[in-house]
Order: sequence, then structure tokens, then C-alpha cells
Amino acid sequence: MFDSLDISSSALTAQRTRLDTIAANIANANTTRDASGKPNPYRRRFAVFASGQPDDHKAPGVHVDQIRMDETAFRKVSLPGHPDADKDGNVLFPNIEPAIESVNALDASRAYEANVTAMEVTKSMLNASLRLIA
Amino acid sequence: MFLERLVNQAGSPVLEQMLSFTAARHKLILENLANVGAPGYRQKDLDLKKFQGMLRERVEHLDQAGSGSTGFEDISAAVEHPTRGFLFHDGTNISMEQLEGDMAKNGMMHNMVIELLRKQYAQMDMALKERVG
Repeated sequence: MFDSLDISSSALTAQRTRLDTIAANIANANTTRDASGKPNPYRRRFAVFASGQPDDHKAPGVHVDQIRMDETAFRKVSLPGHPDADKDGNVLFPNIEPAIESVNALDASRAYEANVTAMEVTKSMLNASLRLIA
Repeated sequence: MFLERLVNQAGSPVLEQMLSFTAARHKLILENLANVGAPGYRQKDLDLKKFQGMLRERVEHLDQAGSGSTGFEDISAAVEHPTRGFLFHDGTNISMEQLEGDMAKNGMMHNMVIELLRKQYAQMDMALKERVG
């Protein structure tokens, strides 16, 4: 029964990675340039989960299979005078909706909490079992 | 012979099978809970009613055939893919509330079986001490 804890911990790791991805999206919601300083809006990223442990995909658990790019179109905002505006005065902003990211963050956070609760239940069951031999 | 009868008469084998069942089911519930966001994941479960039915049948057979003639080791529940709940657009049908409820019930059942086993072991201990003393 000890490996039950591995299942929950794999879920905690996966949900935290998902939350990190969401945090990066929210942080870059208005980023219009890439790391080299060239006009290139930040593209939304999202985590894709797959069942199985990260190091053994046949063992029960979950892992982040991919961090994928959201290929939907960038937001075009009319901002004449912005250093990254095109000749028509439009600026391309990341394809990130803060409201959607907030809902996803809440979902990841609740899933994380549910798995923490599951770990507590596992610990209580293990303690009860250990009392049999103690 | 005396020890075998002492161990098998009090229902300990049934409780031990039940303990294996709750431990296995707990693992499946955790797996379902961990895979809440995994597209296409089909939830897994063990059928408690079916398992209890098999145990009941075996206990009745034991009562008729006499103690020690029937074992419980071969009784185990098969992993099933329940179709309860809504099928979401990503191919999953996991209900967090259902899983939390199942986990709580299964955990309480596990702890109750442990307590019953503890009581039985304590009684056995007492009986053995009485005999030795």
C-alpha cells in the first residue's frame, strides 16, 4: 500500500507543473517581445497529462506528457505610437485570456488539494494497518 | 490443528480478504483522482457488491461444509471501467465528488476491518495465554 502515495505525489507534481504553466501565461499576458527583444508575442502554453508515472508509464499515476503551444491567433489591438505597432498602428498581443487562465488555475489548485486529501487518507489507512503489528 | 482452527474460525480470513480489497480499491481511486486532467482516461474501480456477494457465498459454503474445508485466497475482484457520470469532451468520465465519497467510504471500511482484526487478534492472544498459563 505504500506505493499508493506515489500515485498521489505524481498527481501533485503534474498539477504543480500545470499551475506553473498557467502562472507563466498570466505573467506574459501583455508580453509583445521575445527574449531577444524582437517583436514576437508570447504564445499561450498548456500542459497535457497522460496516465502513468513519469519514470514508468505503465505504473499507476499521472505525468505531464507535453507542454504544448496554443496555436490560436494573437489579439490585435489598435495602439498607434506603441513601439511594436505595425504601419496601421496595430499591436499583436499574446493569445491569453486572464479570465480563462484564472479558472484553469482554480481547477489545478482544487485538483492539487484533492490529491493532498487523498494522501492524508492513505496515511491514515497505513497508520491503521501498522497498528496491527505494533 | 488447534492453531489453524483458531485462526480460521473467527472470520479472520474474510477480514484479510476484505483488507486486500480495500487496499486495492484505494489504489484505483487514487489513480482515478490523479488522472482527472488526463484526456481519454477511463476510470477504474472494483465492484464492492460483487466482491461482498462472493465472500457471502463462500462463508455460507463454509458454514455448510464445516470449518477449514474452504479457503478465501482465490476470491478477488476484477478491475472494471464503470460508465457512471458524464462523458466529457476530452473522453473522461471522472466525477471528483464521487471519487472523494468513494475514497472516504473505502478508507472508513479499511479502518473498521483493521479494528475488527485487532479485536480478533487480541482475543486469540488472550485464548493462547490462558491455555499456556
